[in-house]
Amino acid sequence: MRFHLTRFAVATRFTLVEHGRNRFALVLVALFVPLWTFLAFTVLPETPAPMRLDATGEALSPPGNEVTAISGALNAVTLITGFMMFAATYSGSRFDRRLAMAGYPRAHLVLAKVTALALVSAVVAAYATAIACLTWTPRQPLLLAAALFCAALTYGALGVGFGSVLRREVEGMFAIVMTSIIDLVLQNPIMSSGADNPLLRYLPSYGAMQAGTAAGFSTSPVPGCLAIQLTWFTGAALIALVGFRRGTGTALPTTAQILPGPGPGSGKAVLPAPGRALAPSAAASDTEAH
Amino acid sequence: MHHAYRRRPVLRGVDLRLRGGTLCGIVGENGAGKSTLLKILSGELRPTRGSVRHGGRFGYCPQHVVLNDALTVRQHLTFFQTAYRLADARYAEEIMEILGFTGYADERVGVLSGGTRQKLNVTLALMHDPQVLLLDEPYQGFDWDTYQRFWDLAGRLRGAGRSVLVVSHLAYDTERLDELWRLDNGVLRQDAAVAA
Repeated sequence: MRFHLTRFAVATRFTLVEHGRNRFALVLVALFVPLWTFLAFTVLPETPAPMRLDATGEALSPPGNEVTAISGALNAVTLITGFMMFAATYSGSRFDRRLAMAGYPRAHLVLAKVTALALVSAVVAAYATAIACLTWTPRQPLLLAAALFCAALTYGALGVGFGSVLRREVEGMFAIVMTSIIDLVLQNPIMSSGADNPLLRYLPSYGAMQAGTAAGFSTSPVPGCLAIQLTWFTGAALIALVGFRRGTGTALPTTAQILPGPGPGSGKAVLPAPGRALAPSAAASDTEAH
Repeated sequence: MHHAYRRRPVLRGVDLRLRGGTLCGIVGENGAGKSTLLKILSGELRPTRGSVRHGGRFGYCPQHVVLNDALTVRQHLTFFQTAYRLADARYAEEIMEILGFTGYADERVGVLSGGTRQKLNVTLALMHDPQVLLLDEPYQGFDWDTYQRFWDLAGRLRGAGRSVLVVSHLAYDTERLDELWRLDNGVLRQDAAVAA
């Protein structure tokens, strides 16, 4: 058990260190989230936007600026986690492969990435919820935080998926930005006259948008919407996992992979002094290619 | 072993046996397929035809440094110490001392010079005391002093019974090698001068 915990803890620590070094993402979180929320709230009119909340069947008439603030917060958190995970995957895929080929269990690496994603998403969602609460008054702040968290998780997993298959940084950025814009603009009743179209149920942040709207303007619990969003996360995470497995696999038979050695494992291995030729060790062996 | 990228054959029947306690070199022109051969030997790439068998644990140092710019040198050592399941990183520290970059242990890799990054690249391949060491252009970016110390290190590993395979586009210092192979037109031929 300690074996697994150590590997998981080391991988998680370094994954978080890596995210912490992503200064651009941190600046985006610090500035982008309040800016988006504040601008949406102040610039857009308070004119009611009549809508029917699919999740509960309720007819709502929330202020347009508050609906857009929810949409903007979702947009911000999804872009930030998507971008962070894409950047880490894109720049770190060869390093992950080297680690895996050196014997690092891939399950521990994956679990560390998921844990880091969950922590980053939780922090960003909590921050965005706090900003929302300072700007307007959502009816269910915890539900709003949960909706933002699930959406952030989903886009983080999508970012990992894009990072595994796309070959240029700009492609990944474009893919994440466009996915988030299409996803959220179509669902916003202020910007889209088709916001109640049944097709919208298949968009990646449908569950989060429904839960977020319910959190803002209703007192009904909507666990089903969060479940839908977590299903999207699971699907995106599975795609990301396939990409990770493909990118970190070895072509050698299992027995020939880099195995832990007796040498420095004991902490006593010492390089022979210059000019001192030792007899080949009993462990010395051949490599053959045919 | 054969390998082709789509219809372009790169390796056309390479047969190689690396014995314990030998220091071997493979040279060839740019694009001769040296890195492809090493990628196949390390398991990064599956050959179109043929197989690779390692009798023991091996270490692989890729041509382009594969490091994480966000982590420090010491964090890299901890990460790979965990991967290789080593009790400590003393052996790695010894290699760092030989290659002369102990003073950079707490520096973030992203701010290091190309030569120092390459030293860490080599150290990560060596730190679990592999029986077979596959090195792709290992001394690129090294200054003359480090270059000499690298060969000294390779000689000491050979003396300890390890096999060291160095791939390079330049056939410098062939007198240090036990065997020299030339990769030419996808075929590996033993260099007559060293073989004699």
